[in-house]
Amino acid sequence: MALLEIKNLTLFIDAGDETVKALEKVNLTLNEGEIRALVGESGSGKTLIVRAILGAIPDNWSIKADRITYQGKSLLDMSGEQRRQIMRREIAVVFQEPASALDPSVKIKEQIKESIPDEFITKAWPWKQNKQREELTVNLLHRVGIKNHKRYMECYPHEIPTDISQKIMIAMALASEPKILIADDSTRGMESATKTQILRLLLKFNETKKLAILFVSHDLLAITSMAHSMTVLYCGQTVESGKVKSLLKRPLHPYTKALLDSAPSFQVSLPPKSKLVTLEGTIPTLQHLPTGCRLGPRCPNARKECVMVPVPRNIQDHLYSCHFPLHLPKNTKHKVYKEVKL
Amino acid sequence: MIRLCIRYLNLIVLTILALIGLSFLLPFLFPGDLLTNISGITPDSNQQREALERAFKLDKSLFSQFIHYLENLFAGNWGVSNRTQLDLFDEIALTFPATIELVVYASVVSVTIGIPLGFISGLKHHNPFDFSVVTFSIVAYSFPVFWLALIFITVFSLQLEWLPTSGRIDLLFEVPSVTGFILVDIWLSDIPNKGYAFKDALQHLILPTISVAIVTTALFVRFVRRSIMDVMEKEYIIAAKSRGFTQRQIFFKHGLKNAIIPILPILALQVSTLITNVMIVETIFSWPGIGKWLIEAIYQRDYPAIRMGMLIVSLFVMILTISTEFLTRAIDPARERGVNATL
Ligand code: SF4
Repeated sequence: MALLEIKNLTLFIDAGDETVKALEKVNLTLNEGEIRALVGESGSGKTLIVRAILGAIPDNWSIKADRITYQGKSLLDMSGEQRRQIMRREIAVVFQEPASALDPSVKIKEQIKESIPDEFITKAWPWKQNKQREELTVNLLHRVGIKNHKRYMECYPHEIPTDISQKIMIAMALASEPKILIADDSTRGMESATKTQILRLLLKFNETKKLAILFVSHDLLAITSMAHSMTVLYCGQTVESGKVKSLLKRPLHPYTKALLDSAPSFQVSLPPKSKLVTLEGTIPTLQHLPTGCRLGPRCPNARKECVMVPVPRNIQDHLYSCHFPLHLPKNTKHKVYKEVKL
Repeated sequence: MIRLCIRYLNLIVLTILALIGLSFLLPFLFPGDLLTNISGITPDSNQQREALERAFKLDKSLFSQFIHYLENLFAGNWGVSNRTQLDLFDEIALTFPATIELVVYASVVSVTIGIPLGFISGLKHHNPFDFSVVTFSIVAYSFPVFWLALIFITVFSLQLEWLPTSGRIDLLFEVPSVTGFILVDIWLSDIPNKGYAFKDALQHLILPTISVAIVTTALFVRFVRRSIMDVMEKEYIIAAKSRGFTQRQIFFKHGLKNAIIPILPILALQVSTLITNVMIVETIFSWPGIGKWLIEAIYQRDYPAIRMGMLIVSLFVMILTISTEFLTRAIDPARERGVNATL
């Protein structure tokens, strides 16, 4: 059974006079022990999905979904308290910018201590409890590769460098020994050396603790090196998802292909100084979303039918939403659509 | 930290000097006889005039006059009032505590009501409770203080006859002034019927306190509400929510401090508005404070009194403002960065 499953999630943002569908029928599954990458350009709604999973939703947003489940239990139907318990123990998040995700007025030590669940404290007396908490904190810092914990424990967030704060964020996320870690673009804007460190760290926890990771990013290189499967997001719609290998080898959706083509490191036979292939145009803004398949205006394959939202189809665990997919395996019969009357 | 202290101490000393310098120059700018302006005494004869001129060193240079002024100032030798011929130091020592008393009570009311109300309505914003709080704060903030005070007197004193119209305490009670704070003085004194005196003083306090506190409360509500609303949308609050902390935990550990720190200087600045309002209200309720005293002095062109009164009030406001600034700097960890930064 999938650990986390999202089916047909639509997220409305109420922007005063009109309501926009910032996410439309998004599907996502995360299995036990799996690293799944959620890929998309900025503005494609990756962070919105994360916020929807967390349930941290501003007043002017609303959510509709067939289901959002954690281990088969619906997150949408449970009480606030139940959901809080799950967030406390089972799901942890590492945010985009560690500097703003740490409370600026509380010392690092206190913040880590706070994220250790009370259940882990076995001592009876308050002073012993405090000592135990402290030991656990040091332990956590060591686990994420911060050796000289003394240097940072007494600091305030603005006094420490970004990569260390990111490690601290990971330490805080791991404090409750969660089953799922959501890394929301955690390596954005980092130097490649630090980035590799962070990625290795995540990979290590995935391997040793069977930690399932939802890795949100637009960094294709990082994704292909560590993720097992990936979901591609364009403009609030999931366009394709499946095993990383099969997606790389044979992208079915024009957007996935364009995304891969635009990254030079995936093109073996790229002559020097040749032009990179990109799609025409830019990502539409939330106010001017095209109807039907949102890639429509930019898609080289677009035809009349694309004004209808394509239904997701599944071929051997490879999910895609496109009326006219690229190189389809030969033996699959693609249903021919009736022409849409306009 | 030490550097911070030195900086602020420096600031205070320099500002005090500047204020004193200004007050020293004031008599030269006032119309009328310079000697009377400074001494508060209108000389009867030429002999007395000369003696006074010598006493105030008016025959010496401006600098030695200033030094003389400073000496007198620190010795508590503030001259006499033109109008009553009483010692100014004694007069101010009598009236200023009454003002501070009102300021303190009004700020206590504003803080204990305004800040929690702001937090509650900011946390639950856009519900009926929040709307009524916001409406109250806008309405209350729009009232002119003097008008509000008059309405209070009309309604509660004249119509309903619940509360007295003026003064600090009924004339029947004779409370010796020790600290200048009426409630403390009653408590310290050994007059009979202490309980009644206490009750009476409280009744006298209610209307002036409320008329001053309402505006400040409204302001506090608005600042706090805005601030907590901003903070609750910050990423670290969302992060705290994502860690499954309870609402209480999030608010008390992460919301409260971060919401208060940035607005603390603004809140503290309201004290000067508060003092201005208190001075107006004093006049209306004949509260024997420095505001009423100053306004009378202004009516009577009692220049020595104006000079000292203004100096004391501005010193008070200044020291209060700078020390709250200092306090904010000291407790805000992120602010210290600016101090320690070197180029
Ligand atoms: S559905 Fe049509 S427009 Fe959308 S990606 Fe497929 S071919 Fe292009």
